[in-house]
Amino acid sequence: MKTEFEKQLEGQPLRELPREWRSKILAAASGAPRSMPAEWLSSWLWPHPRAWTGLAAAWIVIFLLHLTAPDEAGAARNSSPMRFESFAKMREQTVLMAQLLGSLDDGDPPAAATTAPPKPRSEGPRRQLIG
Amino acid sequence: MASTPDIARLYDEHAPAVFAFLENLLRNEADTRDVMQELFIKVARRPAMLKDLRDERGFLLRLAHNLAIDLFRRRGARERQAAQLALEPKPLFAASADADEQVFRDKLAEALGELPADQRAVVHLKLWERLTFEAIAEILEIPPNTAGSRYRYGLDKLRERLRPIYDEIQ
Repeated sequence: MKTEFEKQLEGQPLRELPREWRSKILAAASGAPRSMPAEWLSSWLWPHPRAWTGLAAAWIVIFLLHLTAPDEAGAARNSSPMRFESFAKMREQTVLMAQLLGSLDDGDPPAAATTAPPKPRSEGPRRQLIG
Repeated sequence: MASTPDIARLYDEHAPAVFAFLENLLRNEADTRDVMQELFIKVARRPAMLKDLRDERGFLLRLAHNLAIDLFRRRGARERQAAQLALEPKPLFAASADADEQVFRDKLAEALGELPADQRAVVHLKLWERLTFEAIAEILEIPPNTAGSRYRYGLDKLRERLRPIYDEIQ
């Protein structure tokens, strides 16, 4: 319910829009280049442009934080003493393998090959036990 | 896609309301013209914005309000005040042949100018656009209750400020 005061106020006529503005504003609007390539994007984003912009900004922040954060796993890998040990062990194995291969090529049987094959099991004592 | 005649139709149907709202909000004719031009250029550039609109005027008023807020932010408060003082303010209301009525309109324009911009926007949309608080809330992107309370605060201030003249006219 409106009061008399409100009725008095809304009865005051506002100044008219200057007529000469029409041609200038419409000329400026018609001369404005349309953003055709971005039109589909704006129509897609239009219902909530601020929300989409906020979401995009949040993703950019997350991405930047991810990039700037120290790579803990990588740092641990680089600084770990295990890396040097495993490298040394691998080198030892490589040298050993090279030695083995080298001795095979020279015709010398490896140490394992020179050992006598196992003899058949002696059955004497068992027979004695049965007999 | 909105063609030039569409923009002309929009202008003819809604520009007077947009003009009055912006002039009450900005209190500067040059700024009002700049913002109106920016608004229609924006609409002409992105005709997709006009697709499936239920309320063209509400949409244009919201766009006008956002552009006015952008202008406020771009300019510092001090610069805005200096610009307003430097310019002879254009009357907000139509001239009246009746002297008392003219005094009332001048005082009303002054009193409106003293209101904070957010209350002034609500008072304008309620009194001169005759919108509901729900519609005002949509345009200004605020809750309807906030629109209602801003209107009541604004109206109380106007009543207080205009009481001597208003009683005299009554």
